[in-house]
Amino acid sequence: MSGEISGNSDNVKQLTHQAVQIDVEQGSKSFGEKQVLKDINLSIEKGQFVAIIGQSGSGKSTFLRLAAGLDELTKGKLLYNQTSLDQSTINVTMMYQDSRLLPWKSVIDNVNLGLETKGEKRAEQVLDAVGLLEHKDKWPAQLSGGQQQRVALARALIHEPSLLLLDEPLSALDAFTRLEMQNLIEEIWSKLGFTTLLVTHDVREAIRLADRIILIEDGSVAMDLEIDHPRPRQLSDTKLVVLEEQILNRIMNGEVDESLKEKLSI
Amino acid sequence: MKETWYEKLQPWIIPFILLISWQLVSTLGIISENLFPSPLSVITSGWQLTASGEIVEHLVASLGRAGVGMLIGGIIGFTFGILNGLSNKSYRFTDTTIQMIRNVPHLALLPLVIVWFGIGETGKVFLVVIGVLFPIYVNTFHGIRNVDPKLVEMGKMYNLKGWKLFKNILLPGALPSIFVGVRYALGVMWLTLIIAETIPTQVGIGYLATNAREFMQTDIIILSIVIYALLGKLADLIARIGEKKLLTWNESYK
Ligand SMILES: Nc1ncnc2c1ncn2[C@@H]1O[C@H](COP(=O)(O)OP(=O)(O)OP(=O)(O)O)[C@@H](O)[C@H]1O
Ligand SMILES: [Mg+2]
Repeated sequence: MSGEISGNSDNVKQLTHQAVQIDVEQGSKSFGEKQVLKDINLSIEKGQFVAIIGQSGSGKSTFLRLAAGLDELTKGKLLYNQTSLDQSTINVTMMYQDSRLLPWKSVIDNVNLGLETKGEKRAEQVLDAVGLLEHKDKWPAQLSGGQQQRVALARALIHEPSLLLLDEPLSALDAFTRLEMQNLIEEIWSKLGFTTLLVTHDVREAIRLADRIILIEDGSVAMDLEIDHPRPRQLSDTKLVVLEEQILNRIMNGEVDESLKEKLSI
Repeated sequence: MKETWYEKLQPWIIPFILLISWQLVSTLGIISENLFPSPLSVITSGWQLTASGEIVEHLVASLGRAGVGMLIGGIIGFTFGILNGLSNKSYRFTDTTIQMIRNVPHLALLPLVIVWFGIGETGKVFLVVIGVLFPIYVNTFHGIRNVDPKLVEMGKMYNLKGWKLFKNILLPGALPSIFVGVRYALGVMWLTLIIAETIPTQVGIGYLATNAREFMQTDIIILSIVIYALLGKLADLIARIGEKKLLTWNESYK
């Protein structure tokens, strides 16, 4: 079923663009009385792959919507490339837990959605990169969940993102398809180098993919961890196993393990 | 799950028996042929009217009234449905008024319509307009309002605004619901037409029936009922085909 994953990602190499740096300065977000994000200070480097983890309702999706420019901070600033406040100056694309494909458009028309100049050729290349070229004329409903997410990825890529936002895009997939998608995302990211924010509930997924893991608790950054481990990563690697355990303990007990970084020497 | 020929035939057995009994009841003279003409005599008079070309004239007149009424009412209902679906301002301004008018049973307007418009074409078309307007309005409105907000947010993310957002996401999303409205409106359209054509007139299927009543031609009366039924069926069929064509993506869900 999902065996045809290994698409030809060389095809998307020419989707070059400028990765973006994001700085949040004393960012707070409230919905009415309810404060969802409190005094966030973050600097995300160009091309960095950042995983955001945290309990349900902690404000992860809210943070992504802010980064996408779909919503605005109540207080503080969110800057692109240290100067611009305007999201339209950069290319942001987003993937969600559900594929959000338009059921009334064919796969290839979904990929081409919103492009000023529709390039059939380019859409085909991007579809090839995610391994779905042969399905280009089907309706989304005719694809499996994993295939639909790959179309959504293709749609996000064709816009040449300088910032790719991923809101639990793999959490609805079965374990095997999820692994394949993780590989695909990592491969494309390392080729294109866009800045990536990935929200996930899966600590292993975060460890496998991210340069940096941020834990959000009650709207604040509770942990900010760089993972400087060579790729591709083997989750069976002792260091990573220990790291996973530490992070899980941190989430469950709420204890700050000061010696964490030391122990791992990362 | 393939049906055998016998299973396919089953639903038609009772109608067939009924038709045969009707024919027998008439030919054996159990009920007077004048009150309850046999299927054969209905078909015969239908054939005569067709051969003389008279029926075409009546059909054209009725279809014209239905079509013009449907078109005008449809456009008005569609326009307000879209406007009120998209804009809260427009909704607050017009919806209550439209709902108020909707609560008046439009067929009860018949005597008033005759007083207002006389017995010409305008009154008949007017009734059809009023009848079809609301189902189309309501379903278009709900169609637009019920488009998945997640898809709309996705569209905005990909730079779809204004007309593009409407064309790519809102309208196609509302289309299944709009079709429900159209098919419902077609039913209302025929019903309204039947009532409207009781307003004295010189041409149309309704004229055929009222005129036949004067001369006790029960076969023609039954014939016009059958024609109304066939026209209704035909309109629904055309709507279904249109639906299938435009909503192939929807079919693939099933
Ligand atoms: N538009 C909104 N209006 C009011 N409250 C909102 C809105 N969006 C989010 N919230 C609230 O903000 C809080 C954080 O929501 P958010 O969706 O960011 O959580 P999350 O971390 O993504 O959770 P999950 O892991 O379940 O997806 C929740 O309590 C939610 O109810
Ligand atoms: Mg969320």
